[in-house]
Amino acid sequence: MDRRAFVKVCAGTAIAAAWWRGQPALAASIADHPPARLVNADGSPLKAADVPTTEALVFAYPYRGVPCFLINLGARAAHPATLASPEDGDYTSPAGVGPHANLVACVAICTHQLSYPTPDYSAIRYADSASPLAGAPGRIVCCTHGSVYDPAAGAARVSGPAPNALLPVQLAWDAESDGLAATGCVGDKFFARFFDAYKSDLIDRFGPGGYHQPVGETTVAIPLSRHSAAVSTC
Amino acid sequence: MTHEIDRRHFLKMSGTVLAAAPAVLAAGPAALAAGVAQPAGGKQGAPFVSTHRMLDLPKARGPRLVIIGGGTSGLTIAKHAKKAYPKFDVVLVEKRCMYSSCFASNLWYPGIVNLEFLADHSFLDAAHNGGYIYVNATCIGLDRASRTVATNEGDIKYDFLVVAPGISYDYDKIGVHDIDAKVALRQTYPGGFICPTEHVTIHRKVHQFEGGVFIQTVPSGNYRCLPAPYERACLIASVIKHNKLKGKVVILDANPEITIKAPGFHAAFDELYKGIIEWHPTAAVTGVDVAGRTVHTEFDSYKFDDAAIYPNVRAATLIEELDLMAPPTKSNQKEANIDIRFYNLIGDQRVYVTGDSRPMPYSKSGNTSNSEGHYVAKVLAARAQGKDIAWTSPQTLCYSMVDAFPKQAIWVDTYYGYDAKKDAITGFKDTKVDNKRSEANGTAYLEWARGLYRDMFKA
Repeated sequence: MDRRAFVKVCAGTAIAAAWWRGQPALAASIADHPPARLVNADGSPLKAADVPTTEALVFAYPYRGVPCFLINLGARAAHPATLASPEDGDYTSPAGVGPHANLVACVAICTHQLSYPTPDYSAIRYADSASPLAGAPGRIVCCTHGSVYDPAAGAARVSGPAPNALLPVQLAWDAESDGLAATGCVGDKFFARFFDAYKSDLIDRFGPGGYHQPVGETTVAIPLSRHSAAVSTC
Repeated sequence: MTHEIDRRHFLKMSGTVLAAAPAVLAAGPAALAAGVAQPAGGKQGAPFVSTHRMLDLPKARGPRLVIIGGGTSGLTIAKHAKKAYPKFDVVLVEKRCMYSSCFASNLWYPGIVNLEFLADHSFLDAAHNGGYIYVNATCIGLDRASRTVATNEGDIKYDFLVVAPGISYDYDKIGVHDIDAKVALRQTYPGGFICPTEHVTIHRKVHQFEGGVFIQTVPSGNYRCLPAPYERACLIASVIKHNKLKGKVVILDANPEITIKAPGFHAAFDELYKGIIEWHPTAAVTGVDVAGRTVHTEFDSYKFDDAAIYPNVRAATLIEELDLMAPPTKSNQKEANIDIRFYNLIGDQRVYVTGDSRPMPYSKSGNTSNSEGHYVAKVLAARAQGKDIAWTSPQTLCYSMVDAFPKQAIWVDTYYGYDAKKDAITGFKDTKVDNKRSEANGTAYLEWARGLYRDMFKA
């Protein structure tokens, strides 16, 4: 075995020993991206027990410029759904994780016209209670043009102009530490279009090229109300 | 919270525009393949207007789809038809060489957005990102027999043609018949619902308003952007209030009630602009004395210091010039003679009319044209491949800013129904309204506009 291959195997072995690396992608179509443990703003591990039911947490994954929602569905459990993205193909959304199988994650970019949470503002949010546009509680609502998604069903479109579901992010949960990690997602072609649409804004925020860098071994998850100065409530 | 918008107004629009629509159904793809009879173009037998030379374009690499008009409808269809059927060779013909949106333009007057917000969007980028060709030219003629559309830069052969020229003003319907008066009125007190240069003039008026009476008129019929004149009145009033001017906005409304989001606008008039906004229902304009700065209605005359006179609207005159206009029994706004589900000219599945020249009683607004454009793109892709497609309703999601300091908005979201037996659009469907003004809605409004720009100009 040459040295390069040895180093690769060793690295792989070491990685497999960590819980957040131990869970293979359940759905074949969910692309493996380097896993990232979810941490709080102070760097401490985020525990499943600390994920609120009232609003989504926002974290970047798999790239620094891609915002995702971590959602605690409360009494609802998330079930896998067979869905399709016009750009990235068919996939099966992951089931919920955590002690109650009620933690899910998805890419927080509306598939209609690409609204996403910025530090200044978010038109898209998880609403645990009903709202004029959402109708029912527990929906993800984009106020930009009224798209509504159900996070308990793979973030599938419920109503409005969105052509398809919010794209899924696969989570891993460690029963022993109650920790969470993002381990894969669907959307590489969608991300390329998103980056193209917002290139100037993303360069301003992350520096040239910074937005498409992998997030690294950890990624900070904070409540949407802290992530974005203003959040619409349609 | 209410889930109704003014049903009476909808019925009024449908009544005047569509009640007489006959049950003419599309002949279907088979008829297209067999070659539908296509009469020669030109207005009522007039000769085909042309430069008599071909426009210099790369050879078409697939069915050529020519789109006349680079507004919300044309830009949306150009991009999404190419996405839906990549074999299309799409050419967008637009007479302007600088884009500026009509939607969201009211927000510029009190400074909620700047001109860059409306205009920092390039036709070149849209064409590059969408994989089509942008031609800066003006359509001057059409010969449907030879499938040739003429522009001032030369002729273009098409396989499919979309004509999306928007609206023209109809000053005759507000009693202004004399050509001198029409020109003076349009130049001095423009409506502000067609050209960016009108927006610039109104922006200047609002900034230079030092007090007195500012008149904003609201026409009858299905005019472009139902809430916009009320929104503009609120925003001008907001500036008057903010600047502590001794002035007021007088709204002369041809309609008996505010045509849309009435509770939200009434609340703003009563709670924010008491003494600053005067709303006069059933006050249709019957004449304007430009030099004397006086608007006449049936019962009263109103002096003003400045004004934005919004006359009635009709389909763009190009629809009439290209002989695409419906008879008066089908449209009293000179709109296009098209199939109300599939947008093709009656009897010609190669030619389509979309956007605000359509005869259907949809809201003539940006979101409607954008969502309609997504659907028409699929219709064109289906027709090019000899396939059928099911009708889907456009969406009208429309924010209105009722305050600028701070920015607060209300909104309505609606779809439309179709009655197959009557072959008619039946009314609003799945309507949701938020008449409670809020800053959260105000911020969402800006993102609403940005989303439309992204959809038209980005990949």
